[in-house]
Amino acid sequence: MMLVPEVLAILILNLIFALFSLIAFVLAVRIFFKWDLNATTKLQYSLEKQSFLTATIIKYIFAIKLPLFLFFIFTLDNISDLLTGAMCAAGVVDATEYGTYLFILKIINIYLFGFWLVLHYLDIKSKELKYTKIKFGFFIIIFLLFLIELILESIMFNSIDIDKMVSCCGTLYSSSATSYISNIFLIQTPILLSLFYGNFLLIVLFYYLKQKELFSLVNLFFIIISLISLILFFGTYIYELPTHHCPFCFLQKDYYYVGYLIYTLLFIGTFNGLITGFISDKQRVKKAYNFSLIFNLLFLLLVSAYPIIYYIKNGTWL
Amino acid sequence: MIKEKINLYLIQYAINAILRQKSKNFFILNIFILLTFLLTSIFFISNSIKYELNSTVEALPQITVQKIKAGKSYDMDTSVVDNILTITGVTDAVARVWGYYYFENVGVNFTIVGLDTYENQYKKSFENIVKKFDINELSENSSMIVGQGVYESFKKGYYLQNYFNFIKPDGSIKKLAIAGTFNSDIQLESNDVIIMSKENVREIFDINEDKTTDIVVKVANPEEIDTIAQKIKLMYPDTRVVTSEDFKVSYQNIFNYKSGIFLTIFIISLFTFFMIIYDKSSGLSSEEKREIGILKAIGWTIDDVLKEKFYESFIISFLAYMIGIISAFAFVYLFQAPLLREVFVGYSELKTTFELPFVFNFQTLFLVFFLSVPVYIAATIIPSWRTATLETDEVIR
Amino acid sequence: MIKLENVTKIYEINKEHCVTALENINLEFKEGELIVLKGASGSGKSTILSLIAALSKPTSGEVIVDNNRISKLPDNFAALYRRKNIGFIFQKYNLIPTLSVKDNILLPLVPTNPDEKEALEKLNQVMEKFDISHKQNIIVRNLSGGEQQRVAIARAHINDPKIIIADEPTANLDEKLSLNFIEILKKLKQSNKTIIVATHDPLFFNLDFVDKIIEIKNGTIGDSDK
Repeated sequence: MMLVPEVLAILILNLIFALFSLIAFVLAVRIFFKWDLNATTKLQYSLEKQSFLTATIIKYIFAIKLPLFLFFIFTLDNISDLLTGAMCAAGVVDATEYGTYLFILKIINIYLFGFWLVLHYLDIKSKELKYTKIKFGFFIIIFLLFLIELILESIMFNSIDIDKMVSCCGTLYSSSATSYISNIFLIQTPILLSLFYGNFLLIVLFYYLKQKELFSLVNLFFIIISLISLILFFGTYIYELPTHHCPFCFLQKDYYYVGYLIYTLLFIGTFNGLITGFISDKQRVKKAYNFSLIFNLLFLLLVSAYPIIYYIKNGTWL
Repeated sequence: MIKEKINLYLIQYAINAILRQKSKNFFILNIFILLTFLLTSIFFISNSIKYELNSTVEALPQITVQKIKAGKSYDMDTSVVDNILTITGVTDAVARVWGYYYFENVGVNFTIVGLDTYENQYKKSFENIVKKFDINELSENSSMIVGQGVYESFKKGYYLQNYFNFIKPDGSIKKLAIAGTFNSDIQLESNDVIIMSKENVREIFDINEDKTTDIVVKVANPEEIDTIAQKIKLMYPDTRVVTSEDFKVSYQNIFNYKSGIFLTIFIISLFTFFMIIYDKSSGLSSEEKREIGILKAIGWTIDDVLKEKFYESFIISFLAYMIGIISAFAFVYLFQAPLLREVFVGYSELKTTFELPFVFNFQTLFLVFFLSVPVYIAATIIPSWRTATLETDEVIR
Repeated sequence: MIKLENVTKIYEINKEHCVTALENINLEFKEGELIVLKGASGSGKSTILSLIAALSKPTSGEVIVDNNRISKLPDNFAALYRRKNIGFIFQKYNLIPTLSVKDNILLPLVPTNPDEKEALEKLNQVMEKFDISHKQNIIVRNLSGGEQQRVAIARAHINDPKIIIADEPTANLDEKLSLNFIEILKKLKQSNKTIIVATHDPLFFNLDFVDKIIEIKNGTIGDSDK
């Protein structure tokens, strides 16, 4: 069991999250089933008050969750020193069978909490509070996923065995890996790059055509294709090493923590892209379109800069 | 939401509101400062000690071989060294002569180490000493070199002259003059060490020419340490073979065990902290209730009141955090953490008087932040909400 | 412009105990009128004020202000409506004693994060109108009763509301200050604001500039004069 203080801090906060989100869950269920804006009963009045509590709790969890996620990655990085074979967070994630699922779930939950907040702000802007029921129904789902994440995280930290050898990211992210990751290495570089840049062009296209649903869809694909491109291609230029494909190592100090910037840009860009498909409020959609385009563009420019600068410096590709 | 301009008016109002409840907020502030202060101090001390220990471990011999008889360590034949040298991968094996000498007057143990000029020293610090002082001369002049802490102990035991009388096992006295003192890089160790020629050590402890206290082995490839240790064990089943890795692990374990206790205590205090804050924030005087009623009547929304309450919480908790951290810095690194450090360093025979090295870690600051501020804000969520949703019309009559 | 249609308000104190504050009230006030609600404590007149200010919601019936149904507005819209349209003058002034005159008057604007110039303009206008500019930085608890009253009225005016609501404004005042207040009321009437005063102070019952006096008794409307 990893009893390092950082892990303990994360677990303590998780406990607080679990407690408060449970409260929010109970309230959300009540509101979902009993909400009637036109009623003047004592029940309705107390539900209205409680909806504020729920919203506050969710805002709190989200506000802490974001920096905590970064702290989580940072902690994984540090634990990697204690595990034989691990050189970066990738090794720690791989140390247990839960690591990868936990990681993906955390990212999904961040998107989901973000969606909830957007929905919430739209809800309180309308006089009839038209999204209230949907909002709380949505939270019920989020809660279940969030609970799974918390439990999974505790189990994962509990089951890390410092004596067990783990694979280094060099073997995990290579064509010789035995997981499904090795499959992505079958994609040829030219095809990969055309998919990546092509996807972005589609984003630009649907931006001008103002096709909300398609814009959302291409943003979803963009998440996937960007991650794959980072691993297969752009990462190698950040490391200046054709065999180094790890998506975690460039979060470390040696690379000026650029990983945090890269992933943040990608997140903001795709998050805004995704919400356009679900919202009808004109102003909000317009903001979302713009943010999505700008941040996705910044992401694209940042990751493209590495191979280009490498080429300029060395006169050749890797 | 996040993109709005920061509302200075609201911040000003929040500050004023905090000052309006001076005694309550002052109390909360102090508890919080105490919490962050203790926490940060503990982390700073343990970071410093870890740093020291790691430096120590680096200097430890890779393999140490001791003869065990009836569960206790015994002197070994020096010939064992030659046999060990025949193992492939071993670059060097040195027979050590050393022991503990109990100085009754002060009640401390000294570690007496015998060095030979012409041997390969297994520790850098000893190398430096051999370069600085001529051991042969030491032997000829019947003198020794002592660590700073030993020197202090001598003074305490009323030995004001520059010599010391060792009492040999047969009761007779061996007098050695103090040729000099040394300060090793690694403070945790150097304090209780006395260096003299192997000959003198043998005399003081009555160890035979052909015997040695233990043997340290140097290995070419660090990966091979365990394998070679096994081989030695096979060759000499009556020995205890300890590797540097073993030391590292046992240090870590002692360390984590101690930290574990602290962390458990901490969790309990955190919980208490939470309850106190919750309780304090919940108690609203009729004055406060009226104020909220007024605000809502003149057009503040529930969200506005919540925001204001949040600003209050954040200002208090962040202020407390900063004060706590800065005080901890001063306490640990300027004043060397009196009292608190004793709990960590434990009970060594000679009270070590080392200095806590300044080890700075951004991570520690973030760690303390996550363990304090979010907990505080969590404790104020429900009380703030209760305040913000008070029925206005009942309150302002 | 203010209409109460078949309004009933029942307070649920606990499961067994209900209090009917208002029963099937119908009222209509025109713009620019000065109305006095007359009645003893607990008669329900304060409840009417609450409803008009959207501080509480009727158990049944509708409250319509300026053709807007305000009865079922969610909290933030109700607060917004209050901020824009209602100026509240309370019985005990209800100023924040440790804040200055300036800060108290600006209080309704604080959450809106107004532009500094704009806020200052509004502030100066209103302070001049009620003659307390010279005391703007003084902490309110150090002011005399009359000055505090003017601060309270100034605060009610910072957003230039259409409706002024005063709940027992003279209950804690001596005769001189009460008369002062009535003078101010006269001035406000001239600015075409709709003013509703709930009081049982007889000083109000014989004023010539009052448009309507409505008596509230046990939650229903009694006789009305004028």
